[in-house]
Amino acid sequence: MTLLAGLRLDHPVLNASGTLDAIAARDVLGDATLGAAAHVTKTIFPDARPGNPSPRIAETAGGMLNSIGLPGPGIAAFIDDVLPRTRTCVGVTPVIVSIGGESVSDYERLAALLDGVPGVAALELNLSCPNIESGCISIGADVAETLLVTRRVRATTALPLLVKLSPSVSDIVALAAAAVDGGADAVTLTNTARGLAVRVDTGRSVLGGPGGGLSGPPLRPLALAAVYAVRVALGVDIVGVGGVDSLATAAELLAAGATAVAVGTATFRDPTTISRIAAALAPPTSIEAR
Amino acid sequence: MREPVEVAVLGTEALGAYTLVRVAGAGIDVGSPGQFAMALDPDAAGYLARPVGVFRLEDGEVAMLVDPAHRVGGLGGARRLRLLGPLGHGYDLTAAEPASTLLVAGGIGITVLPGVPLAIGGRPRMLAAFRLPTQAAATALVDADTRVVLAPASVLDALELAAITLVLGAGPTGLMHALAERCAAAGVACQVALEAPMGCGFGACYGCAVELDGATARLCLEGPVVDARRLAVAR
Repeated sequence: MTLLAGLRLDHPVLNASGTLDAIAARDVLGDATLGAAAHVTKTIFPDARPGNPSPRIAETAGGMLNSIGLPGPGIAAFIDDVLPRTRTCVGVTPVIVSIGGESVSDYERLAALLDGVPGVAALELNLSCPNIESGCISIGADVAETLLVTRRVRATTALPLLVKLSPSVSDIVALAAAAVDGGADAVTLTNTARGLAVRVDTGRSVLGGPGGGLSGPPLRPLALAAVYAVRVALGVDIVGVGGVDSLATAAELLAAGATAVAVGTATFRDPTTISRIAAALAPPTSIEAR
Repeated sequence: MREPVEVAVLGTEALGAYTLVRVAGAGIDVGSPGQFAMALDPDAAGYLARPVGVFRLEDGEVAMLVDPAHRVGGLGGARRLRLLGPLGHGYDLTAAEPASTLLVAGGIGITVLPGVPLAIGGRPRMLAAFRLPTQAAATALVDADTRVVLAPASVLDALELAAITLVLGAGPTGLMHALAERCAAAGVACQVALEAPMGCGFGACYGCAVELDGATARLCLEGPVVDARRLAVAR
């Protein structure tokens, strides 16, 4: 049993936001959660978003860059359609809804709309996406803004709050402290790091957006450093994210101070990653052992 | 839950400019023509799996065609592969008759077509376009009455739709859009297998965005084979 931000979870392995569509996973693979103890949704914004132009992904040495741009249906369609279908797919697995916005008031509004909606176990404030022009990371890179948005959301809802931060900041501890001061129950460390793949012939980004978010094993040392620094400085629950693709790499983040870990890019490579790590961390109790 | 299946690579051989990768076929479901699999070489430096068309050879082995000049080319050096598939939607062949079906392949796109003749019960005609003469060797994979068109000639100039009721295309996006337009103008049904960078194959990464019906869609879920009229709307 893992206690994260007040949520009682069967084990400490989640999916990272934006790396698992429960409905599609159910339809294609026959398993909506892929074994995650809680399902974290793709970040939802107030209005529908098409996402960034193609190409949206590029492989890097040992990992990948993405410039997806948070496509989504907007909060109204999410509450009316996506969330109910997601709940049906994931069953009793708690659903953590990731929210994003272009302003502090966007987050406040989303939290108000989601407060009291059946099946929402917690909110994760995405203050860290590197692939949109305004909001998210421009809020999450500023201590005062991080404090303000967390405080405003905290005043709006009693749901457990997680705040997801970027590794591409100057002082992750100060930002995490601002989130905690604002009322966050946990911090998620970290989102992708700002990166770029460039075409030599044109000097332009390989991706459709101006840059991208680096994920996979290259992100792991950054996530470890962030988790360790925040754990030493603050007594807050932490979801460690970055390059988790095995029991060993999950154990590293847990040893550095994470309460739980989330698997992202590794799921693309192998959809059994979450369940394999979860089984290794918390083997099913055998009849003989009961 | 569907899981990747690990298979031994039995051999690789040059097929002109391309590489044919043969794997043990037992227990592998190649699906229907147009579907794909995500193939991962667990021993390679590349982190992500690659979308590939897989097909069964006459001897029961399963094979895939890769381009050494392309991202999937690295699979040509694999000793083992993990395959997740079949994925996506293939061609709807319920109305396909060999005599009135035309296959149109552009480059490595031909890799989704080898299963078509068996599936429709006969040899269709095929127009296959390549940049290099050595790439045309890939036409040997498809039992069809084949005409090869080499760049800079346009495959569209060679397109003859008289007596054709169904066109099955596979290849680069630009070619597939142009093919869709020509078929629409001629009133011929057309299905196209599209290409896009793909990170997972099951709708998780949102990397394979394409425009269908005027909106953004994930190709791994909606395709890779789509009714060509869905492209015409996007244009």
